[in-house]
Amino acid sequence: MTHFHFLFAAWMAVWAVFFVYEISVASRVARLREEIERLKQQVREG
Amino acid sequence: MTTARAAAILLAKELRLEFRTRELLTATVVFAVVVVVLFSFAFDPTAAESRRYGPGLLWIAFLFAGSLMLHPSFGREQANQTLDALRMAPISPFAIVLGKMLANLLFLSVAEVILVPVFAVLYNISLAGIVGRLAIVLVLGTLGVVVTGTVFSAISAHARMRELLLPLLLLPILAPLLIAAVEATASLFSERPVLDRAWLAFLGGFDIVFLTASWLLSDFLLEE
Amino acid sequence: MKARFGITALVAALLFFAGYAALFIAPDESTMHEIQRVFYFHVALWSAMYTALTIAFVANIAWLATRQPRWDWLGVSAVEVGVVSCTGGLITGVLWGKPAWGIWWTWDARLTTAFLLWLLYIAYLLLRGLLEDPQRRATLSAVFGIFAFLDAPLVYASNRLWRTQHPAPVVFGGDNSGLDPVMGKVLMVCIFALLPVMILLLVDRYRLERMRHEVDELRLAVESGAARPNSAVTKGAI
Repeated sequence: MTHFHFLFAAWMAVWAVFFVYEISVASRVARLREEIERLKQQVREG
Repeated sequence: MTTARAAAILLAKELRLEFRTRELLTATVVFAVVVVVLFSFAFDPTAAESRRYGPGLLWIAFLFAGSLMLHPSFGREQANQTLDALRMAPISPFAIVLGKMLANLLFLSVAEVILVPVFAVLYNISLAGIVGRLAIVLVLGTLGVVVTGTVFSAISAHARMRELLLPLLLLPILAPLLIAAVEATASLFSERPVLDRAWLAFLGGFDIVFLTASWLLSDFLLEE
Repeated sequence: MKARFGITALVAALLFFAGYAALFIAPDESTMHEIQRVFYFHVALWSAMYTALTIAFVANIAWLATRQPRWDWLGVSAVEVGVVSCTGGLITGVLWGKPAWGIWWTWDARLTTAFLLWLLYIAYLLLRGLLEDPQRRATLSAVFGIFAFLDAPLVYASNRLWRTQHPAPVVFGGDNSGLDPVMGKVLMVCIFALLPVMILLLVDRYRLERMRHEVDELRLAVESGAARPNSAVTKGAI
Protein backbone atom coordinates (compact mmCIF):
# COMPACT_ATOMS: atom_id res chain seq x y z
CA MET A 1 0.00 0.00 0.00
CA THR A 2 1.55 3.25 -1.14
CA HIS A 3 2.08 5.85 1.60
CA PHE A 4 -0.02 3.88 4.03
CA HIS A 5 1.53 5.53 7.07
CA PHE A 6 0.42 8.97 5.84
CA LEU A 7 -3.14 7.73 5.34
CA PHE A 8 -3.15 6.16 8.78
CA ALA A 9 -1.71 9.31 10.33
CA ALA A 10 -4.43 11.38 8.65
CA TRP A 11 -7.18 9.08 9.90
CA MET A 12 -5.71 9.18 13.40
CA ALA A 13 -5.43 12.95 13.18
CA VAL A 14 -9.15 13.25 12.43
CA TRP A 15 -10.00 11.16 15.47
CA ALA A 16 -7.42 12.88 17.66
CA VAL A 17 -8.57 16.37 16.77
CA PHE A 18 -12.18 15.67 17.73
CA PHE A 19 -11.37 13.41 20.64
CA VAL A 20 -8.92 15.76 22.34
CA TYR A 21 -11.34 18.66 22.02
CA GLU A 22 -14.29 16.62 23.31
CA ILE A 23 -12.27 15.39 26.30
CA SER A 24 -11.18 18.92 27.11
CA VAL A 25 -14.75 20.22 26.97
CA ALA A 26 -16.18 17.27 28.89
CA SER A 27 -13.65 17.57 31.71
CA ARG A 28 -14.33 21.28 32.07
CA VAL A 29 -18.06 20.54 32.15
CA ALA A 30 -17.54 17.98 34.93
CA ARG A 31 -15.48 20.43 36.97
CA LEU A 32 -18.06 23.16 36.55
CA ARG A 33 -20.85 20.81 37.52
CA GLU A 34 -19.11 20.26 40.86
CA GLU A 35 -18.55 23.99 41.26
CA ILE A 36 -22.23 24.67 40.57
CA GLU A 37 -23.31 22.11 43.16
CA ARG A 38 -20.94 23.63 45.68
CA LEU A 39 -22.20 27.14 45.01
CA LYS A 40 -25.85 26.08 45.11
CA GLN A 41 -25.16 24.58 48.50
CA GLN A 42 -23.61 27.85 49.65
CA VAL A 43 -26.62 29.84 48.46
CA ARG A 44 -28.97 27.50 50.28
CA GLU A 45 -27.02 27.92 53.50
CA GLY A 46 -26.46 31.66 53.16
CA MET B 1 -26.57 67.65 12.99
CA THR B 2 -26.00 65.44 9.98
CA THR B 3 -23.49 62.64 10.13
CA ALA B 4 -21.36 64.24 7.44
CA ARG B 5 -21.12 67.54 9.22
CA ALA B 6 -20.38 65.91 12.57
CA ALA B 7 -17.70 63.77 10.97
CA ALA B 8 -16.16 66.85 9.36
CA ILE B 9 -16.01 68.67 12.69
CA LEU B 10 -14.48 65.64 14.39
CA LEU B 11 -11.99 65.32 11.56
CA ALA B 12 -10.96 68.91 12.10
CA LYS B 13 -10.51 68.20 15.79
CA GLU B 14 -8.34 65.16 15.11
CA LEU B 15 -6.19 67.15 12.69
CA ARG B 16 -5.81 70.05 15.10
CA LEU B 17 -4.85 67.63 17.85
CA GLU B 18 -2.30 65.85 15.76
CA PHE B 19 -0.71 68.90 14.21
CA ARG B 20 -0.11 70.36 17.60
CA THR B 21 2.59 67.79 18.27
CA ARG B 22 2.87 65.81 15.01
CA GLU B 23 4.33 62.99 17.07
CA LEU B 24 2.11 60.26 15.62
CA LEU B 25 2.81 61.30 12.07
CA THR B 26 6.54 61.55 12.61
CA ALA B 27 6.73 58.20 14.34
CA THR B 28 4.71 56.54 11.60
CA VAL B 29 6.87 57.87 8.79
CA VAL B 30 10.11 57.03 10.54
CA PHE B 31 8.93 53.52 11.33
CA ALA B 32 7.85 52.90 7.75
CA VAL B 33 11.22 54.11 6.46
CA VAL B 34 13.02 51.84 8.92
CA VAL B 35 11.00 48.86 7.69
CA VAL B 36 11.82 49.68 4.07
CA VAL B 37 15.52 50.04 4.85
CA LEU B 38 15.61 46.81 6.85
CA PHE B 39 14.09 44.95 3.94
CA SER B 40 16.99 46.03 1.79
CA PHE B 41 19.29 44.02 4.09
CA ALA B 42 17.20 40.93 3.47
CA PHE B 43 18.09 40.85 -0.19
CA ASP B 44 20.26 42.82 -2.56
CA PRO B 45 17.78 44.56 -4.81
CA THR B 46 18.72 44.31 -8.45
CA ALA B 47 16.41 46.05 -10.87
CA ALA B 48 14.37 42.96 -11.66
CA GLU B 49 14.12 41.92 -8.03
CA SER B 50 13.08 45.39 -6.96
CA ARG B 51 10.24 45.31 -9.42
CA ARG B 52 9.21 41.86 -8.24
CA TYR B 53 9.45 42.29 -4.50
CA GLY B 54 9.13 46.04 -4.25
CA PRO B 55 5.34 46.32 -4.24
CA GLY B 56 5.08 43.64 -1.56
CA LEU B 57 7.62 45.36 0.66
CA LEU B 58 6.00 48.72 0.18
CA TRP B 59 2.58 47.51 1.19
CA ILE B 60 3.88 45.49 4.12
CA ALA B 61 5.64 48.63 5.33
CA PHE B 62 2.33 50.51 5.03
CA LEU B 63 0.45 47.79 6.87
CA PHE B 64 2.92 47.63 9.75
CA ALA B 65 3.13 51.38 10.04
CA GLY B 66 -0.63 51.66 9.74
CA SER B 67 -1.41 49.12 12.42
CA LEU B 68 0.87 50.93 14.83
CA MET B 69 -0.57 54.29 13.92
CA LEU B 70 -4.18 53.21 14.16
CA HIS B 71 -3.98 52.07 17.74
CA PRO B 72 -3.99 55.52 19.32
CA SER B 73 -7.07 56.33 17.28
CA PHE B 74 -9.32 55.17 20.07
CA GLY B 75 -6.54 54.55 22.54
CA ARG B 76 -6.06 58.26 23.08
CA GLU B 77 -9.75 58.73 23.81
CA GLN B 78 -9.62 56.00 26.38
CA ALA B 79 -6.75 57.55 28.29
CA ASN B 80 -8.60 60.81 28.76
CA GLN B 81 -12.08 59.31 28.81
CA THR B 82 -13.14 61.76 26.16
CA LEU B 83 -15.18 59.10 24.43
CA ASP B 84 -17.98 59.51 26.96
CA ALA B 85 -18.24 63.16 26.05
CA LEU B 86 -18.42 62.26 22.37
CA ARG B 87 -21.09 59.67 23.02
CA MET B 88 -23.27 62.18 24.79
CA ALA B 89 -23.16 64.58 21.88
CA PRO B 90 -26.25 64.49 19.63
CA ILE B 91 -24.43 62.79 16.78
CA SER B 92 -24.64 59.29 15.42
CA PRO B 93 -21.93 56.84 16.54
CA PHE B 94 -21.01 56.40 12.91
CA ALA B 95 -20.11 60.08 12.73
CA ILE B 96 -17.52 59.53 15.46
CA VAL B 97 -16.12 56.48 13.71
CA LEU B 98 -16.19 58.19 10.32
CA GLY B 99 -14.40 61.25 11.67
CA LYS B 100 -11.61 59.03 12.96
CA MET B 101 -11.49 57.04 9.74
CA LEU B 102 -11.04 60.20 7.71
CA ALA B 103 -8.35 61.47 10.08
CA ASN B 104 -6.49 58.17 9.88
CA LEU B 105 -6.85 58.19 6.10
CA LEU B 106 -5.20 61.57 5.97
CA PHE B 107 -2.39 60.64 8.37
CA LEU B 108 -1.56 57.40 6.63
CA SER B 109 -1.74 59.11 3.23
CA VAL B 110 0.71 61.77 4.35
CA ALA B 111 3.06 59.02 5.53
CA GLU B 112 2.71 57.30 2.15
CA VAL B 113 3.35 60.47 0.17
CA ILE B 114 6.63 60.79 2.03
CA LEU B 115 7.48 57.12 1.88
CA VAL B 116 6.85 56.33 -1.79
CA PRO B 117 9.53 58.66 -3.19
CA VAL B 118 12.00 57.42 -0.54
CA PHE B 119 11.22 53.89 -1.57
CA ALA B 120 11.54 54.69 -5.26
CA VAL B 121 14.99 56.15 -4.68
CA LEU B 122 16.24 53.32 -2.45
CA TYR B 123 15.04 50.59 -4.79
CA ASN B 124 15.68 52.35 -8.09
CA ILE B 125 12.13 52.26 -9.32
CA SER B 126 11.05 54.99 -11.67
CA LEU B 127 7.79 56.70 -10.83
CA ALA B 128 7.66 58.61 -14.09
CA GLY B 129 4.26 58.47 -15.76
CA ILE B 130 2.60 56.31 -13.13
CA VAL B 131 2.17 58.75 -10.27
CA GLY B 132 -1.52 59.41 -10.92
CA ARG B 133 -2.43 55.77 -11.30
CA LEU B 134 -0.31 54.83 -8.31
CA ALA B 135 -2.19 57.42 -6.30
CA ILE B 136 -5.48 55.70 -7.14
CA VAL B 137 -4.15 52.35 -5.97
CA LEU B 138 -2.74 53.91 -2.81
CA VAL B 139 -5.98 55.67 -1.95
CA LEU B 140 -8.16 52.58 -2.45
CA GLY B 141 -5.75 50.40 -0.54
CA THR B 142 -5.24 52.85 2.31
CA LEU B 143 -8.99 53.31 2.60
CA GLY B 144 -9.41 49.60 3.28
CA VAL B 145 -6.63 49.63 5.87
CA VAL B 146 -8.07 52.64 7.61
CA VAL B 147 -11.69 51.49 7.62
CA THR B 148 -10.94 48.11 9.18
CA GLY B 149 -8.15 49.50 11.33
CA THR B 150 -10.30 52.18 12.93
CA VAL B 151 -13.02 49.66 13.74
CA PHE B 152 -10.51 47.29 15.29
CA SER B 153 -8.91 50.14 17.19
CA ALA B 154 -12.31 50.71 18.79
CA ILE B 155 -12.61 47.01 19.56
CA SER B 156 -9.14 46.53 20.97
CA ALA B 157 -9.26 49.73 23.02
CA HIS B 158 -11.25 47.80 25.63
CA ALA B 159 -8.98 44.78 25.72
CA ARG B 160 -5.79 43.89 27.52
CA MET B 161 -2.62 43.86 25.42
CA ARG B 162 -4.25 46.26 23.01
CA GLU B 163 -1.05 47.30 21.23
CA LEU B 164 -0.42 43.71 20.23
CA LEU B 165 -4.06 42.89 19.69
CA LEU B 166 -4.70 45.45 16.97
CA PRO B 167 -2.16 44.07 14.45
CA LEU B 168 -3.23 40.56 15.42
CA LEU B 169 -6.82 41.31 14.47
CA LEU B 170 -6.06 43.57 11.55
CA LEU B 171 -3.41 41.81 9.51
CA PRO B 172 -5.32 38.58 8.80
CA ILE B 173 -8.40 40.54 7.78
CA LEU B 174 -6.32 42.66 5.42
CA ALA B 175 -4.73 39.71 3.63
CA PRO B 176 -7.00 40.01 0.55
CA LEU B 177 -6.40 43.74 0.42
CA LEU B 178 -2.65 43.14 0.61
CA ILE B 179 -2.79 40.75 -2.33
CA ALA B 180 -4.91 43.12 -4.42
CA ALA B 181 -2.85 46.22 -3.61
CA VAL B 182 0.46 44.47 -4.23
CA GLU B 183 -0.71 43.06 -7.56
CA ALA B 184 -2.11 46.39 -8.68
CA THR B 185 1.11 48.16 -7.68
CA ALA B 186 3.23 45.47 -9.33
CA SER B 187 1.45 45.89 -12.63
CA LEU B 188 2.26 49.61 -12.41
CA PHE B 189 5.94 48.97 -11.62
CA SER B 190 6.35 46.52 -14.49
CA GLU B 191 8.16 47.20 -17.76
CA ARG B 192 4.92 48.29 -19.37
CA PRO B 193 2.85 49.86 -16.61
CA VAL B 194 -0.85 49.17 -16.75
CA LEU B 195 -3.63 49.84 -14.26
CA ASP B 196 -5.10 46.45 -13.47
CA ARG B 197 -8.84 46.93 -13.43
CA ALA B 198 -9.67 43.58 -11.86
CA TRP B 199 -7.58 44.25 -8.78
CA LEU B 200 -8.75 47.83 -8.60
CA ALA B 201 -12.35 46.64 -8.63
CA PHE B 202 -11.46 44.16 -5.92
CA LEU B 203 -9.98 46.92 -3.76
CA GLY B 204 -13.08 49.02 -4.31
CA GLY B 205 -15.27 46.08 -3.40
CA PHE B 206 -13.28 45.42 -0.23
CA ASP B 207 -13.64 49.05 0.81
CA ILE B 208 -17.37 49.11 0.16
CA VAL B 209 -18.02 45.86 2.04
CA PHE B 210 -16.20 46.93 5.15
CA LEU B 211 -17.33 50.54 5.09
CA THR B 212 -20.92 49.31 4.94
CA ALA B 213 -20.30 46.82 7.73
CA SER B 214 -18.75 49.58 9.84
CA TRP B 215 -21.72 51.84 9.21
CA LEU B 216 -24.17 49.11 10.24
CA LEU B 217 -22.23 48.09 13.32
CA SER B 218 -20.89 51.40 14.64
CA ASP B 219 -23.58 51.62 17.31
CA PHE B 220 -22.22 48.47 18.89
CA LEU B 221 -18.63 49.63 18.64
CA LEU B 222 -19.14 52.61 20.87
CA GLU B 223 -21.42 51.17 23.50
CA GLU B 224 -20.83 51.76 27.16
CA MET C 1 -27.13 10.50 30.85
CA LYS C 2 -28.11 7.28 29.08
CA ALA C 3 -29.48 9.20 26.13
CA ARG C 4 -26.22 11.09 25.91
CA PHE C 5 -24.20 7.89 25.98
CA GLY C 6 -26.40 6.47 23.25
CA ILE C 7 -25.95 9.52 21.06
CA THR C 8 -22.18 9.56 21.53
CA ALA C 9 -22.03 5.88 20.63
CA LEU C 10 -24.14 6.50 17.54
CA VAL C 11 -21.95 9.38 16.41
CA ALA C 12 -18.79 7.33 16.99
CA ALA C 13 -20.34 4.52 14.94
CA LEU C 14 -21.09 6.98 12.15
CA LEU C 15 -17.49 8.13 12.17
CA PHE C 16 -16.26 4.54 12.03
CA PHE C 17 -18.55 3.78 9.12
CA ALA C 18 -17.37 6.86 7.27
CA GLY C 19 -13.78 5.78 7.82
CA TYR C 20 -14.58 2.29 6.62
CA ALA C 21 -16.25 3.70 3.51
CA ALA C 22 -13.32 5.98 2.80
CA LEU C 23 -10.70 3.33 3.36
CA PHE C 24 -12.33 0.25 1.84
CA ILE C 25 -15.48 0.99 -0.15
CA ALA C 26 -14.20 3.87 -2.24
CA PRO C 27 -12.55 2.80 -5.47
CA ASP C 28 -8.84 3.19 -5.96
CA GLU C 29 -7.66 6.42 -7.54
CA SER C 30 -5.38 6.02 -10.50
CA THR C 31 -2.56 8.46 -9.78
CA MET C 32 -2.26 8.69 -6.00
CA HIS C 33 -3.74 5.34 -4.97
CA GLU C 34 -4.31 4.93 -1.26
CA ILE C 35 -3.23 8.34 -0.04
CA GLN C 36 -5.98 9.93 -2.13
CA ARG C 37 -8.46 8.54 0.40
CA VAL C 38 -7.49 11.36 2.76
CA PHE C 39 -9.54 13.51 0.38
CA TYR C 40 -12.78 12.20 1.93
CA PHE C 41 -11.88 13.27 5.47
CA HIS C 42 -10.22 16.42 4.22
CA VAL C 43 -13.25 17.75 2.34
CA ALA C 44 -15.61 16.60 5.10
CA LEU C 45 -13.61 18.61 7.63
CA TRP C 46 -13.86 21.73 5.50
CA SER C 47 -17.64 21.30 5.23
CA ALA C 48 -17.83 20.94 8.99
CA MET C 49 -15.74 24.09 9.37
CA TYR C 50 -17.84 26.18 7.00
CA THR C 51 -21.03 24.98 8.64
CA ALA C 52 -19.70 25.86 12.09
CA LEU C 53 -18.51 29.29 10.98
CA THR C 54 -21.82 30.04 9.31
CA ILE C 55 -23.61 29.12 12.53
CA ALA C 56 -21.23 31.48 14.36
CA PHE C 57 -22.01 34.29 11.92
CA VAL C 58 -25.75 33.87 12.47
CA ALA C 59 -25.21 33.73 16.23
CA ASN C 60 -23.14 36.92 16.15
CA ILE C 61 -25.89 38.78 14.34
CA ALA C 62 -28.55 37.33 16.63
CA TRP C 63 -26.64 38.46 19.71
CA LEU C 64 -26.35 42.02 18.44
CA ALA C 65 -30.02 42.02 17.52
CA THR C 66 -31.51 40.40 20.62
CA ARG C 67 -28.86 40.56 23.40
CA GLN C 68 -29.91 37.12 24.59
CA PRO C 69 -26.90 35.40 26.20
CA ARG C 70 -27.53 32.09 24.43
CA TRP C 71 -26.49 33.62 21.12
CA ASP C 72 -23.16 34.65 22.61
CA TRP C 73 -22.71 31.13 23.95
CA LEU C 74 -23.56 29.67 20.56
CA GLY C 75 -21.20 32.11 18.84
CA VAL C 76 -18.09 31.21 20.79
CA SER C 77 -18.93 27.48 20.71
CA ALA C 78 -19.39 27.49 16.94
CA VAL C 79 -16.14 29.38 16.39
CA GLU C 80 -14.18 26.99 18.59
CA VAL C 81 -15.61 23.96 16.83
CA GLY C 82 -14.92 25.65 13.50
CA VAL C 83 -11.29 26.20 14.49
CA VAL C 84 -11.02 22.56 15.58
CA SER C 85 -12.41 21.37 12.23
CA CYS C 86 -10.08 23.76 10.42
CA THR C 87 -7.12 22.36 12.35
CA GLY C 88 -8.14 18.88 11.26
CA GLY C 89 -8.48 20.06 7.69
CA LEU C 90 -5.04 21.65 7.70
CA ILE C 91 -3.41 18.58 9.26
CA THR C 92 -5.03 16.21 6.76
CA GLY C 93 -4.08 18.61 3.98
CA VAL C 94 -0.42 18.54 4.97
CA LEU C 95 -0.47 14.76 5.39
CA TRP C 96 -1.94 14.44 1.92
CA GLY C 97 0.34 16.97 0.33
CA LYS C 98 3.65 15.45 1.27
CA PRO C 99 3.10 11.99 -0.24
CA ALA C 100 0.98 13.22 -3.15
CA TRP C 101 3.04 16.17 -4.42
CA GLY C 102 6.26 15.83 -2.47
CA ILE C 103 5.76 19.16 -0.71
CA TRP C 104 4.35 19.85 2.74
CA TRP C 105 2.54 22.96 1.72
CA THR C 106 1.44 24.97 -1.31
CA TRP C 107 -0.10 28.40 -1.47
CA ASP C 108 -3.06 27.56 -3.66
CA ALA C 109 -6.34 29.44 -3.19
CA ARG C 110 -8.12 26.92 -1.01
CA LEU C 111 -5.29 26.06 1.35
CA THR C 112 -4.32 29.69 1.79
CA THR C 113 -7.93 30.62 2.52
CA ALA C 114 -8.16 27.85 5.07
CA PHE C 115 -4.97 28.88 6.80
CA LEU C 116 -6.02 32.49 6.91
CA LEU C 117 -9.46 31.62 8.28
CA TRP C 118 -7.74 29.56 10.94
CA LEU C 119 -5.65 32.58 11.95
CA LEU C 120 -8.62 34.90 11.79
CA TYR C 121 -10.80 32.84 14.09
CA ILE C 122 -7.97 32.16 16.49
CA ALA C 123 -7.69 35.94 16.68
CA TYR C 124 -11.41 35.94 17.57
CA LEU C 125 -10.77 33.51 20.42
CA LEU C 126 -7.78 35.53 21.61
CA LEU C 127 -9.87 38.69 21.52
CA ARG C 128 -12.49 37.08 23.71
CA GLY C 129 -9.81 36.01 26.14
CA LEU C 130 -8.58 39.58 26.45
CA LEU C 131 -11.94 41.27 26.95
CA GLU C 132 -13.06 41.05 30.55
CA ASP C 133 -16.51 42.54 30.82
CA PRO C 134 -18.98 39.85 29.63
CA GLN C 135 -21.36 42.24 27.86
CA ARG C 136 -18.60 44.05 26.07
CA ARG C 137 -16.84 40.80 25.25
CA ALA C 138 -19.97 39.42 23.64
CA THR C 139 -20.68 42.57 21.64
CA LEU C 140 -17.18 43.35 20.42
CA SER C 141 -16.35 39.76 19.54
CA ALA C 142 -19.64 39.57 17.64
CA VAL C 143 -18.62 42.61 15.59
CA PHE C 144 -15.22 41.08 14.90
CA GLY C 145 -16.86 37.76 14.06
CA ILE C 146 -19.05 39.45 11.48
CA PHE C 147 -16.05 41.17 9.92
CA ALA C 148 -14.17 37.88 9.83
CA PHE C 149 -17.02 36.06 8.11
CA LEU C 150 -17.37 38.84 5.53
CA ASP C 151 -13.66 38.59 4.89
CA ALA C 152 -13.74 34.85 4.15
CA PRO C 153 -15.11 35.01 0.57
CA LEU C 154 -12.80 37.95 -0.13
CA VAL C 155 -9.82 35.89 1.00
CA TYR C 156 -10.86 33.07 -1.32
CA ALA C 157 -11.58 35.36 -4.27
CA SER C 158 -8.31 37.26 -3.96
CA ASN C 159 -6.29 34.06 -3.71
CA ARG C 160 -8.14 32.53 -6.64
CA LEU C 161 -7.55 35.57 -8.81
CA TRP C 162 -3.94 35.72 -7.69
CA ARG C 163 -3.36 32.06 -8.39
CA THR C 164 -4.74 32.23 -11.89
CA GLN C 165 -2.09 34.88 -12.49
CA HIS C 166 0.66 32.91 -10.74
CA PRO C 167 -0.26 29.26 -11.23
CA ALA C 168 0.58 26.85 -8.46
CA PRO C 169 0.45 23.06 -8.70
CA VAL C 170 -3.07 22.15 -9.72
CA VAL C 171 -4.31 20.58 -6.57
CA PHE C 172 -7.87 19.41 -6.72
CA GLY C 173 -8.70 19.85 -10.39
CA GLY C 174 -8.25 16.18 -11.10
CA ASP C 175 -10.50 14.89 -8.37
CA ASN C 176 -13.53 17.11 -8.39
CA SER C 177 -13.90 17.46 -12.11
CA GLY C 178 -15.98 14.46 -13.08
CA LEU C 179 -15.93 12.57 -9.82
CA ASP C 180 -16.52 8.86 -10.04
CA PRO C 181 -20.08 8.19 -8.74
CA VAL C 182 -18.96 5.81 -6.01
CA MET C 183 -16.35 8.33 -4.89
CA GLY C 184 -19.06 10.96 -4.86
CA LYS C 185 -21.27 8.82 -2.64
CA VAL C 186 -18.43 8.06 -0.23
CA LEU C 187 -17.68 11.77 -0.05
CA MET C 188 -21.30 12.51 0.83
CA VAL C 189 -21.21 9.79 3.50
CA CYS C 190 -18.12 11.30 5.06
CA ILE C 191 -19.46 14.84 4.96
CA PHE C 192 -22.73 13.81 6.56
CA ALA C 193 -20.98 11.67 9.13
CA LEU C 194 -18.72 14.48 10.25
CA LEU C 195 -21.60 16.92 10.67
CA PRO C 196 -23.14 15.10 13.67
CA VAL C 197 -19.68 14.92 15.24
CA MET C 198 -19.33 18.66 14.84
CA ILE C 199 -22.81 19.25 16.21
CA LEU C 200 -22.13 17.05 19.23
CA LEU C 201 -19.01 19.07 20.02
CA LEU C 202 -20.99 22.24 19.51
CA VAL C 203 -23.72 21.18 21.92
CA ASP C 204 -21.18 20.23 24.59
CA ARG C 205 -19.26 23.46 24.24
CA TYR C 206 -22.51 25.41 24.41
CA ARG C 207 -23.40 23.60 27.61
CA LEU C 208 -19.99 24.51 29.04
CA GLU C 209 -20.57 28.16 28.25
CA ARG C 210 -24.04 28.07 29.76
CA MET C 211 -22.63 26.50 32.92
CA ARG C 212 -19.93 29.18 33.15
CA HIS C 213 -22.70 31.75 33.06
CA GLU C 214 -24.55 29.86 35.78
CA VAL C 215 -21.41 29.79 37.94
CA ASP C 216 -21.03 33.56 37.59
CA GLU C 217 -24.67 34.10 38.56
CA LEU C 218 -24.36 31.78 41.55
CA ARG C 219 -21.18 33.51 42.68
CA LEU C 220 -23.02 36.80 42.53
CA ALA C 221 -25.87 35.31 44.55
CA VAL C 222 -23.46 34.00 47.16
CA GLU C 223 -21.78 37.38 47.48
CA SER C 224 -25.01 39.33 47.75
CA GLY C 225 -26.37 36.75 50.19
CA ALA C 226 -23.32 37.09 52.40
CA ALA C 227 -23.40 40.88 52.16
CA ARG C 228 -26.94 41.19 53.46
CA PRO C 229 -26.59 41.68 57.25
CA ASN C 230 -29.51 39.71 58.63
CA SER C 231 -29.85 37.14 55.92
CA ALA C 232 -29.67 34.26 58.36
CA VAL C 233 -32.42 35.78 60.49
CA THR C 234 -34.72 36.51 57.59
CA LYS C 235 -34.30 32.96 56.35
CA GLY C 236 -35.41 31.71 59.74
CA ALA C 237 -32.25 29.78 60.37
CA ILE C 238 -31.72 31.45 63.70
